[in-house]
Amino acid sequence: MKPDTLSDIFTTAIASFKRNKIRTVLTSLGITIGVMSVVLLIGLGVGLKNYLSDQFESLGSNLVIVFPGNVFSDEGGLGGGFGPGFAGGATFDEKDYLNLKKIPQADYVVPQFFRSLPVTANGESQLGYVEGVTADAFKILNLSQAYGQAFEATDVNRKTKVAVLGFAIAEKLFSSPEKAVGKTIITGNQRLKVIGVNAKKGDREMDNIVLLPYTTTFGRLNPNKTFFTIFFGVNDEANIASVINQAEKILAKRYDEDSFSVTEQTEILSTVNQVFGIVNAILVAIGSISLLVGGIGIMNIMYATVTERTKEVGIRRAIGATRQDILSQFLSESVVLSVLGGLIGLALASLIILVIRQFFPAAINLLSVVIAFSVSTAIGVFFGVFPAKRAANLPPIEAIRYE
Amino acid sequence: MKPLIDLRNVSKTYWLGETEVKAVSGISLPIYRQEYLSILGASGSGKSTLMYLIGLLEIPSRGKISFNGRDVSKLADAKLSHLRNGSIGFVFQQFNLINKFTVLENVILPTRYSKTRLKFNPKNKARQLLKDFGILDRQDFFPNKISGGQQQRVAIARALIMNPAVLLADEPTGNLDSKTGPEILRLIESLRKKFKTTIIMVTHEKEVANRADKKIYIKDGRLVKKYL
Repeated sequence: MKPDTLSDIFTTAIASFKRNKIRTVLTSLGITIGVMSVVLLIGLGVGLKNYLSDQFESLGSNLVIVFPGNVFSDEGGLGGGFGPGFAGGATFDEKDYLNLKKIPQADYVVPQFFRSLPVTANGESQLGYVEGVTADAFKILNLSQAYGQAFEATDVNRKTKVAVLGFAIAEKLFSSPEKAVGKTIITGNQRLKVIGVNAKKGDREMDNIVLLPYTTTFGRLNPNKTFFTIFFGVNDEANIASVINQAEKILAKRYDEDSFSVTEQTEILSTVNQVFGIVNAILVAIGSISLLVGGIGIMNIMYATVTERTKEVGIRRAIGATRQDILSQFLSESVVLSVLGGLIGLALASLIILVIRQFFPAAINLLSVVIAFSVSTAIGVFFGVFPAKRAANLPPIEAIRYE
Repeated sequence: MKPLIDLRNVSKTYWLGETEVKAVSGISLPIYRQEYLSILGASGSGKSTLMYLIGLLEIPSRGKISFNGRDVSKLADAKLSHLRNGSIGFVFQQFNLINKFTVLENVILPTRYSKTRLKFNPKNKARQLLKDFGILDRQDFFPNKISGGQQQRVAIARALIMNPAVLLADEPTGNLDSKTGPEILRLIESLRKKFKTTIIMVTHEKEVANRADKKIYIKDGRLVKKYL
């Protein structure tokens, strides 16, 4: 067939779908659902990964983090699990902090106590990420204050009952963030005076943070006086390895080697990427099953179509269609059918992602679009080629006599 | 004069499971330009197979078929289809129009399979043919909405659109009433002069066969009487 009749082929394909609307829709539905789930899963995976990467990147560079448990094994894979108090994990205390503080290459050391708790003020209650830290935390987290000010080292020494709020939580509790300064909040039975509100970060966790001196948490909030993690800001990138080494030696004196990990931020990032690579691959594999099923649906319908149109094939052959012409005709129909389904799936997935974006970091990227297109085309070709071959190889005379 | 189509000792056998069926055996037949030939035979005689062999829809199991002096018995599918597209027009008993296409779309369908540059505008030519056959007002109708005689006219227009050298008609009046049948026959016969077409009429009716200049009688796949 001449190249300029390529559009003819597609027009014919679309015309034949118009005559079989319900069948076309049902056949494409398999591909629609398949592409939709794959795009959606990729979107969620990529979104979550980006979110976590952003979280770690916002911490700043030259960062070394002490975690409980053997979270990051030597191979860089995920060893234990996250979260405080899991099996075999060390619980750090003030003594560790003070020991680690002695490492000369560490510019600052920040212990972190963390709980997510309801925070009340003015009769309003909101969930806040309550963190007990030192004043250096503001440097590590790159936090500046839109109103009021941060607490200082002296507040930590004096166990002052003060707090610095994230922008969003201040807004929610006090209707406008500047009104928060000077007011009192209560969290975990602890009264705290708000002395500052951070500038908006555009990050849910950071904007709902409640920062207070770690010493202040040693009471009702943190009766065991423990920390979940300890952060180091290292003065020079070249010293990171040495700081990790020293920290490990210091901690090994008190804890079993497998009960804590000392890692740098880039290592965490690469682990996060690795883990999400695996998770994404599994999700895509699951989504691909529905694509496979959709493809089989297309194949089934195409076989039925070929049988139904046997006589038409015979007529076309009689008036000069080659086997190749017939093959192209049926193949293009299955490809159009599949790509149509794929595009609808992509559109639906985009819509869903737009909606859930408000609650969950999901993203639609070029990769999803390329995958939706190429996979649905490939399915159309793969599952269409056998029925199309059958049509092309029908003996013309038998085909033309077929009733 | 050299024949346009020359069959030399042509046989066609089919396999029905384990048994070999000889549909056509050892037929030699020259067909000349602008000839009006009829092939007469009962159903199952092998006349349709012979027509499909002449129409290049089948290749012979044995023997040789030449078209315009060129041996076409072993041509590959693409070349054979190409030749069929440009040189052969088929008219069938069942009309064999494609019902999802309009009359006009049916008529121009062969032009879509042409591998050479067309020297005419398909739509214009199709309309001209429909006009010649008195059914231009039916061009946007679907085949199942027009009468049998009109459908057969559409089929003839489709067969002619590529200016074929040969028109093969397989029982073209078999599905038509006694009034329309002769009209269609006269129309087909008129094409010989108007388009310089060779006409090959396949039929089981003696009266129809007798209208041709030359007729052959086929029985059990063999020529019984030649050139009566």
